[in-house]
Amino acid sequence: MTTEIMPAQDLPQIKGVKDVPYDELFVSGHRTCQGCESALVMRHMVKASGPRTIVLGSTGCMYVANTTYYTTPWVVPWMHTQLGASGSAALGTAAGLKVLMRKGKLKNEKINVIAFCGDGGGADMGIGAISATLTHKDYNCLVLLYDNESYANTDIQLSSQTPYGAVTTFSPSGDKKRLMHTRWKKNVPGMLAAGHPESRYIAAGCAAYAVDLMNKIRKALELGGPTFVHTLDPCPKGWDYHPQYSQELGHLAVETGIWPLYEVVDGVCNLTGPTRQIAEGRKKRKPVYEYLKRQGRFAHFIDEDVEHFQAQVDKMWTDWLIPGVIPFTVPAKDVAILKIDKKPMHEQKTA
Amino acid sequence: MAEERSVSIEVVYRGIFQKTLAQRICRSVVLAARKRGHTGTAFARYGDSPERNGVPAKQFAVVAADELELEASMAKYEPSVVDVSIAVDDTLVKGVESWAWYGRQPIWKPVRANGWLLVTSDKKPDEVLAQTDKAERPYTLGIVPGGASFAGLWVYKDDHTDFRVLGALAKILPQWIALDDAKAASLELAKGDQSAVASVQYGYDATTMRRVKDGEGTSGHEVLQFKKPGWTKMRPGVIVEARKPGERNPYYKKYGARTMRPVVNFDTCIKCTMCWLDCPDECFEVTPEGHYEVVYEACIGCGICAQVCPVKDCIVMVDELKFTDNKDKWQLWKTDHSKYNSWFEDMSGVSADPKKGASGSVPPNANPAANAATNPGADPAANPTTSAGGDE
Ligand SMILES: Cc1ncc(C[n+]2csc(CCOP(=O)(O)OP(=O)(O)O)c2C)c(N)n1
Ligand code: SF4
Ligand code: SF4
Ligand code: SF4
Repeated sequence: MTTEIMPAQDLPQIKGVKDVPYDELFVSGHRTCQGCESALVMRHMVKASGPRTIVLGSTGCMYVANTTYYTTPWVVPWMHTQLGASGSAALGTAAGLKVLMRKGKLKNEKINVIAFCGDGGGADMGIGAISATLTHKDYNCLVLLYDNESYANTDIQLSSQTPYGAVTTFSPSGDKKRLMHTRWKKNVPGMLAAGHPESRYIAAGCAAYAVDLMNKIRKALELGGPTFVHTLDPCPKGWDYHPQYSQELGHLAVETGIWPLYEVVDGVCNLTGPTRQIAEGRKKRKPVYEYLKRQGRFAHFIDEDVEHFQAQVDKMWTDWLIPGVIPFTVPAKDVAILKIDKKPMHEQKTA
Repeated sequence: MAEERSVSIEVVYRGIFQKTLAQRICRSVVLAARKRGHTGTAFARYGDSPERNGVPAKQFAVVAADELELEASMAKYEPSVVDVSIAVDDTLVKGVESWAWYGRQPIWKPVRANGWLLVTSDKKPDEVLAQTDKAERPYTLGIVPGGASFAGLWVYKDDHTDFRVLGALAKILPQWIALDDAKAASLELAKGDQSAVASVQYGYDATTMRRVKDGEGTSGHEVLQFKKPGWTKMRPGVIVEARKPGERNPYYKKYGARTMRPVVNFDTCIKCTMCWLDCPDECFEVTPEGHYEVVYEACIGCGICAQVCPVKDCIVMVDELKFTDNKDKWQLWKTDHSKYNSWFEDMSGVSADPKKGASGSVPPNANPAANAATNPGADPAANPTTSAGGDE
């Protein structure tokens, strides 16, 4: 028996800011913080996907601050999903729609299914369900991980996405131990891209590059199957800076090379935006200090910490197989392997 | 007053930005009162957690003659009537809306008759009163000199607002907080730094009092109250009605969370859409001419639009207390250009004609966004909205 893939919506790429759809499907009146970039991700996400979209939201700021006390900013159907369940919710909803349409209980229609989760709900608790979802290639759904680098809703606890050394309520800086948290941020999109050949689209974006982000969401939905987009969202509350700098910090995260923008389409990795310019040598990477010094969560850093941070980022750019994306290096003796004849077997030359 | 057995104080503050400050005020009150042999406790309101930055929140201090009295006062999970309310950001006098369904409440709402409202402000009592809801019972307004202190989350930049407030409290509640005790407590909290004592004395001396009679204040603020549906009326599955396209959520307007708001110079706007695109609160509406006007009811005052606008001084962030309403302003520009432009100049202190440069008495970059961006090392006192974090 062959599985039938549901047709996906045509979502043409947005050519520039003037081409961005005007209608808001996530309207004002959400109680997120001043300058919340995660709220902006929600707005851009539904703007890009359009009115025929179902959104499912895992517990976190984007649920609690958006839909509190019987009031909501969502124009599209939205459902609260358990913390850690975004993958299951996405897959289940896509499967449910498919069955209802097959049985004629629902009009045959192209509907986008997007489940979002925070870094706590996605990179920590929900990673298993997301991974499982990405292997089910016959269902169209997108999981969007909005990453404010902490469990922000419950007042800023450490997650696997919290950057090296950052202060959180679980990792304060003390007299005895200046850095309570010294793990390097987990590479979620890289890991998911490497491990899920069934997924046709996996990307990393940032709302500070709104058009790039919206196009990634559109491409994910248009290609169909299970897809994944990870966004880095400056969070003034947890990162401790004045909300007016949210956009600027998004730009700095990319320009310093800490947060590379890329997409993996059918196994092929494209760097996008300034990340591409940096990789091609058309733009210089900014020192990470530019980014770190603007945030209170790094205020306890001494030179040594900044140097370590810089060295780690440098390594991502100089030593990795794909800069900032795939954390592999090839031993010198095996460099030849990379040049292996990749033609189909019958076309390969025999020695 | 001698026979009173307990006193309750609330601190109303901007969520997150001033959380540490509110904590320190509540703690110092209790510490000072204990030096007199009283007892007391400091606590936060559960309902405000998780706090969102800018959104009003409350913390409390209750001081009592003995443990029994304290327990009796503490039986209430949050005091609905307080002796003193302290607003650590003067824009809070426009009303407090912390969470949905409460609606916007006058700042004096929990203050008992003849109680006190202390506001930290650089303005005169009458200017502050002009923006405070019309009083329904008499109280005393005290102005503690100083701008809003935006002490950050992790890094507390000490500007002694807490000690000045403690000094002001010593003035109005001497039987609970004696000036000497306040000084001793501040010295302890500041780890021996004598300037803390000077700040307590300054708060004591420089706080100005103004009796407020019934009916004084403004009636210009919007009434914003909602009816709770109650769980029996909720639809099965807790289904909430979606918003209609183009509609805004009427149950939560963001202006109560704002200390600054943007004003737009439509004459210099190049219609680039950046403000609209990057506003996390969906505030901008496109006009028939292709300009972007701010819907002030939705604006939380984050300042991102002013930061991303490529034209210098086209969007300027202005002190919220300069405004008396939340009406959109583009209509005015449409019907009367010059009237709008003089309004813009008056508010922003920036000339509406970029060729002319600065106007009025305010320096050209009164815009704190521009100020902080071009001059990151600026004196934090001169720019109280600069983040506590790492700019220096
Ligand atoms: C199973 C479960 N555990 C714990 C919680 C409490 N909780 C609510 S929100 C939250 C933080 C979620 O963090 P994240 O997914 O990073 O989203 P953010 O708040 O940062 O937007 C937690 C732990 C919960 N709701 N459900
Ligand atoms: S805590 Fe951070 S993610 Fe949550 S609402 Fe505030 S700014 Fe947004
Ligand atoms: S200050 Fe500007 S960006 Fe921020 S909410 Fe208001 S209109 Fe939007
Ligand atoms: S960002 Fe500035 S120039 Fe661009 S549309 Fe908005 S107000 Fe006009």
